[in-house]
Amino acid sequence: MLRHDVVVVGAGLAGQRAALAAIEAGRDVAIVSKLHPLRSHSGAAQGGINAAVGAEDSVDTHIFDTVKGSDYLGDQDAIEFFCREAGPIVVEMEHFGTIFSRSDDGSLARRPFGGAHFPRTIYAADRTGLALLQALWERLGSERLTLYAEWDLVDLVVRDGRVHGLVAFDRTSGEFAEIAAKAVVLATGPAGRVYAKTTNAHSCTGDGIAAAYAAGAFLKDMEFVQFHPTALLESSILITEGARGEGGLLKNASGEQFMVRYAPHVKELASRDVVSRAIVTEVKEGRGFSGPFGGYVHLELMHLGRERVESRLTEICDFARRFAGIDPVTEPIPVYPAQHYMMGGIGTDIHGATNLTGLYAAGEAACVSIHGANRLGGNSLLETLVFGREAGRAAAAYAATAPAPEMHASDLEAAAAPLRAWSARTDGEDPSTLRTEMQRTMEECAGIYRDAAGMLEGIQRLRALRARFEKVRVVDRSPVYNLNLTDALETGHLLELAEVILVGAYARTESRGAHARTDFPKRDDARWMRHTLARRTPTGPALDYAPVAFTRFEPTERVY
Amino acid sequence: MPTASAIPVPLEVYRFQPGVDAKPSYRRYELELSPHTPVLSALLKVRAEVDPTLSLRYSCRSAICGSCAMRINSKSRLACETPVGPEIERHGRIVVEPMANQPVIRDLVVDQASFWKEYERIEPHLKPDPLHPMPEGRPNPMTPAEVERFHDTPRCIACAACYSACPAVAADPAFPGPMALAKLYRFVVDPRDGAHQDRLVRIQTEGLWLCLRCHLCTEACPKDVRPSERIRDLKEMAIAAQGATEHGSRHAVGFKTNIRAAGTLNESRLVRQTFGVVGMLPQLPHGLAIWRKKPEVAKRPRPIEGADELEKIYEALDPEEPR
Ligand SMILES: Cc1cc2nc3c(=O)[nH]c(=O)nc-3n(C[C@H](O)[C@H](O)[C@H](O)COP(=O)(O)OP(=O)(O)OC[C@H]3O[C@@H](n4cnc5c(N)ncnc54)[C@H](O)[C@@H]3O)c2cc1C
Ligand code: FES
Repeated sequence: MLRHDVVVVGAGLAGQRAALAAIEAGRDVAIVSKLHPLRSHSGAAQGGINAAVGAEDSVDTHIFDTVKGSDYLGDQDAIEFFCREAGPIVVEMEHFGTIFSRSDDGSLARRPFGGAHFPRTIYAADRTGLALLQALWERLGSERLTLYAEWDLVDLVVRDGRVHGLVAFDRTSGEFAEIAAKAVVLATGPAGRVYAKTTNAHSCTGDGIAAAYAAGAFLKDMEFVQFHPTALLESSILITEGARGEGGLLKNASGEQFMVRYAPHVKELASRDVVSRAIVTEVKEGRGFSGPFGGYVHLELMHLGRERVESRLTEICDFARRFAGIDPVTEPIPVYPAQHYMMGGIGTDIHGATNLTGLYAAGEAACVSIHGANRLGGNSLLETLVFGREAGRAAAAYAATAPAPEMHASDLEAAAAPLRAWSARTDGEDPSTLRTEMQRTMEECAGIYRDAAGMLEGIQRLRALRARFEKVRVVDRSPVYNLNLTDALETGHLLELAEVILVGAYARTESRGAHARTDFPKRDDARWMRHTLARRTPTGPALDYAPVAFTRFEPTERVY
Repeated sequence: MPTASAIPVPLEVYRFQPGVDAKPSYRRYELELSPHTPVLSALLKVRAEVDPTLSLRYSCRSAICGSCAMRINSKSRLACETPVGPEIERHGRIVVEPMANQPVIRDLVVDQASFWKEYERIEPHLKPDPLHPMPEGRPNPMTPAEVERFHDTPRCIACAACYSACPAVAADPAFPGPMALAKLYRFVVDPRDGAHQDRLVRIQTEGLWLCLRCHLCTEACPKDVRPSERIRDLKEMAIAAQGATEHGSRHAVGFKTNIRAAGTLNESRLVRQTFGVVGMLPQLPHGLAIWRKKPEVAKRPRPIEGADELEKIYEALDPEEPR
């Protein structure tokens, strides 16, 4: 059996930063990742990472902006800690080798981002995530840890409320393996593939969140899902806010610049949730375009001129030309909102600790919570580093004194049994059929606008899908790189999480941040200024609630 | 949104599972797709609707994770950013095969161990100069012009398309490959790195000069990293740092002085310049064999007509360099 002090699952920015912290604390560390670390989804982040390092800016303003952005659901003690660590941890990344863009005076260049008082977002051209991921991986150095690349987490082994290790699956050999660990850090990233339209990669299937949930950890605030207003139609590839920042206009089918009606002052530059809701309303009320990939509106850049579009929005030009066959210099870009970020996740404290002893979580898979009901752009890359490091340190400290973990031979068998059953079946449905139906359900019932009737229907449809999943069939019998099997594994995870999102959203009878209910359009602080906690039971998620931590900011209405 | 109508897309996909299949085969799938559909989407459609046993690597579907490089109609490229339309126009069908220079694990999935090993071999991490520690609590100052010096090397997504396209990788296991060398370049121009000289000296004997200068890597690179140009830069920097002390660099310098002097190559002189008088001896049988067939190689070639014009070009390019 394999054995390590600390096993980090996931090798995006959060997982790598956790591993580095645990190594620096002197522990024997392994990383289990279903992708090679450099292929993690963190590499797709374009815009940048927030740190109040400008002379006009201050940590206090960053704290306030984040609290307000969260629609007062973020824990203020966590946010204070988070914003204070921002400057030093970004400087550390620079020292590790990140090639950030610079201003003429040689300092780190900053760009303005939604919801921030000052230009606070430090960037590396339009590939900040890639720049950070490369620098961190190169600093971490594969020789200092054991890397199980292209291994999938299957199950955590938890007994008496403590984690003892995990069972993983090696894609290349098709073998299951037990890894005993004194502490486990889950950093498996987002679950965007719950939705049909998402800016997230195909690999973002919430595996770690589902594994923690199955093992008895509580999931926090899962109903808060951020939708980005401008994703390319069909592929849902992100078109960054920068396009509107440069002067891009949103137009409906009659050529009207409709944002004038929704946000007369800031128009296209209103916050993400406002713009997303406006687009959906236009399409719903018949003023959008329609086509084989559903309704959409136009993002126009033509009036900016070739020079400006090609030099300032290079990547977007590339994307539109390559992935939609459209030239933004001469044609409008068809866009529609898509799922972009999950504010919720595995519930943790400031040190990444969950309610299970020895189990830690960080990054987009976790919920501390600093984003509350709505995340500000540029804060999530920062979160991966700040709380990745915290979780790694805490896991290392626990592992230093923890008793040896106990793994039993039956642990592997128990984890592998369902997968073997899927493969042994001679009839049943392919996982991709179920996944597609789930994604459609979530799109229709847990999207940008929600109401009780739609969500109830969604919950029923999901339960039916889960019942069908009991008989899922894997036709590929090869042990080697069997994607049919990993598809089934991921689909099972997504189905669980979809239900948690819907059940939490149905219960929350208010609108706050990204959670917009047509039947309860107002924020309701008296009843709902609290975190949702979901715990798994055989009949579905059981909900509980926890208070929000306040330090200095009293809630006021969130207007921009 | 241009609603270009769907076109027939015959896909021929390489299928092989070592140890199970006796030999590779190609399976044909007939799809109807709009021309801008990426090859990756076509393959995923096959997986979802026709054959879930097809295996490949993919994740981001937006040309940033580097997972989906494969050979599409013989060219190493990213499946997620290669639209089907132009391929069909040019070739009438789309043949999809795994990358070259890496053993097949299954179908389109290759074993990338050697690719990653070469990347690690160049020690891809900053080695700060102990005499110039990083500024405490502050970022290193760097101007936009200094950031420009990296060219586009930071855009590399480690997709290995260059590694797959490279004939030098196929010919000689000692060659680190284009990606690793472009990565090395990224550290050699980094003002924060304190080991430029060591890196350049080491790479001179560790494969730098094995590059065949065919530029196929630059053609294959989906991110415009232009590895072959960075390899050229490394060679120049290596000669500047260490002088022409290796066979490769001596050959390069010899080539230049030959051309400069006569506008043509004196091949036997070039051999001597590259290997030295003693080092030349093992080449002797080879040289004699050539001489038997082509006695004129032993003669000192006459300067070509207008060779003195060449000198002017060299002067203009490199006024510092003595003749
Ligand atoms: C298109 C896009 C642009 C963005 N731009 C920005 C931005 O500009 N600024 C910003 O702050 N944020 C941005 N975000 C958000 C931010 O990028 C993410 O929140 C963050 O990178 C998540 O990092 P992570 O380390 O938590 O997860 P990831 O980087 O997703 O890493 C997850 C890791 O877990 C592994 N894994 C997953 N499942 C398993 C399993 N079952 N077994 C083993 N390993 C597993 C994966 O292999 C991977 O290594 C953007 C997001 C998207 C989608
Ligand atoms: S799928 Fe990520 S590069 Fe193609």
